[in-house]
Amino acid sequence: MNIVEYNNIIDKLSVHVKSFQEGFSLLSKSSTLKEFGTDFCRILRGNFFISDVNLFFKGNDTTEWKSVVVHNEKCYECLPYLKPSPEVHIEYFSENEFSIIATLPSTDGSFWGLVIGRKLDKSEITEIDKITLQMFLQLLDNAYQSFTNQKKEKQLIFSLNHRVVQLNSLIDTGIEISKLHKTASLLELSLERAVALTNASSGVLQIISENIIVSEIGFPGNFDREKVLSSKNKIDTSVEFQNIKYLFTLSEKESRNGIIAFDQTDEILLQAFARQVLAALENEHLHSEAIDKERMHQEIEMAATIQRKIIPQHLPEIEGYDLAGINIPSLEIGGDYYDVTKLKDGRYLLIIADVSGKGVASGLLVNTLNASLNAYVENDFMLTEVADRLNKIIYKASTPEKYITGFIAILDPLTGTIEYLNAGHNPIFYANNGKLKKLDKGGLAFGMLDFAFPYESARIQLYPGEKILFYTDGITEAMDSEDEEYSDQRLESFFLSENPAKAKSFIENLMADIKTHTKNTPQSDDITALYLSRNR
Amino acid sequence: MMSSEFNLVTEAKDNCIVINTTGYINNIGGQKIVDEFYKHNSNGINNVVLNLANSNVVNSIGISFLIEIIEKLNQSSGKLIFTNLDPSIEKTFTIMGLFQFAKKADNLEEALKYL
Repeated sequence: MNIVEYNNIIDKLSVHVKSFQEGFSLLSKSSTLKEFGTDFCRILRGNFFISDVNLFFKGNDTTEWKSVVVHNEKCYECLPYLKPSPEVHIEYFSENEFSIIATLPSTDGSFWGLVIGRKLDKSEITEIDKITLQMFLQLLDNAYQSFTNQKKEKQLIFSLNHRVVQLNSLIDTGIEISKLHKTASLLELSLERAVALTNASSGVLQIISENIIVSEIGFPGNFDREKVLSSKNKIDTSVEFQNIKYLFTLSEKESRNGIIAFDQTDEILLQAFARQVLAALENEHLHSEAIDKERMHQEIEMAATIQRKIIPQHLPEIEGYDLAGINIPSLEIGGDYYDVTKLKDGRYLLIIADVSGKGVASGLLVNTLNASLNAYVENDFMLTEVADRLNKIIYKASTPEKYITGFIAILDPLTGTIEYLNAGHNPIFYANNGKLKKLDKGGLAFGMLDFAFPYESARIQLYPGEKILFYTDGITEAMDSEDEEYSDQRLESFFLSENPAKAKSFIENLMADIKTHTKNTPQSDDITALYLSRNR
Repeated sequence: MMSSEFNLVTEAKDNCIVINTTGYINNIGGQKIVDEFYKHNSNGINNVVLNLANSNVVNSIGISFLIEIIEKLNQSSGKLIFTNLDPSIEKTFTIMGLFQFAKKADNLEEALKYL
């Protein structure tokens, strides 16, 4: 070899080395195998002055050769000459359409097959060409490793990002569905997200009550129900709320290479979505209950307001007499009642009543009593006759366990005469000449029985300086923290000993005395009192 | 809320195409978008607006097809603009890093201004 030939070889190899370096950078950045192969063939053609370079790829020992780049269809005839083995295998042909057939193993178990045509100048493959080919086969191997590593790195980043998306979406979906108050919407959203985040092709959510499917939701809109449910590639999970089962089924996990099996993460993810649905359903139920409760509370408040209007805010002023009353319900709606009304003949009707029990039902009976009484005060008021009618009305309006005890008195202010009737109420206190008398004549509580036990009334004479206390058992039964009652005796004693100038003061002092007894013990029953004293 | 069968409609606008999709962008939807892209890209179209107004669910396979388009366009200095994104999709694309190589626009008009 002379110096010129030697320099030519050096120059040629320099070009090949430069091409090798540039080629590595280009091939490593390829986005697809096809692009990788096309660029490699281009590099090889440029360096060998060969127009016909055909490239094949074989994923592993068991797969078939796949064409990547084909310039000459006849190259397929050379496939039997490709020898997949752990070693590089190269055959050179001098009298053939193809000059080189090479098989190259890769580190990932795949193989490259090269079928190279003849040089453009028809010259034979030289020893230098063979060295160059070895160099470019090394390039193919190195660049392919770099290409696959970059691809793996991308897949890893993609996969990690996808995990973040799954977690994020799980949290977001939980928040979103908790804001939805329509069951159908939250179920649709959950199914959509579960399908998308597990890469399922489609999904079905069945709502089952007593083993019967009552409703079904699918995603996407064109889903094939039978295909989803009969698929061999599916996962499912269910949650149960109020005897209704929500069964989620997802089918056909997608990949770029076709359908693959769902993994454990998909199952965990689906279960998490299902649990979110359960929590949302429970929240929705609690929310709905809270709304109902609030509505009920508002209605009770309204009823309480109406009832408060039944209890007189101001009592009539009766010349020569002093009146004061109080009503403190233990619940929003009480079962106690009192009133003082002037009759059309100038007399006054005084009433105190106590409905058995408390709450809304008792409040309704109080209203019935009030409305009935108001109807009768417009007419001639015959006490026993009114009592009899009230009994029948209350009996009809109430349930068997509900009745009203009451004390009704008709005061003639001019004479001080009082006609009274006690319908099963606790005896009313009357201080007559400094002595206590208990007014108990009358009959059964209103509404207890509908057949006629005639009511009887009685008369007393209220003299100047004398007084009457109407009260309900909420006073005598007011308890302290040790369940000790205020008692009839203490009330009797208080009634006889307490003689303030004003009726209002009597009521205030009575309440203070009760509070002294009960201290801070919560009130367990309605407290009602009406006090009447004659001044002159 | 439920999306129907996936389909797309493409409009040609000057130097770009607008691909309007409807339905779940999964393997099928993603493949259709990529096929549509390559059909126009082979004719020299390098700018793409993907209008997802009627697609509010996408899975990771669908996203991989979109990344393929982004990579292809990046090699030829082309642009991909997403528009009318559902908030959940926008968040997903952000996490997956799609907006490092593609833009987003609130509406079609704004998307066309980027090109």
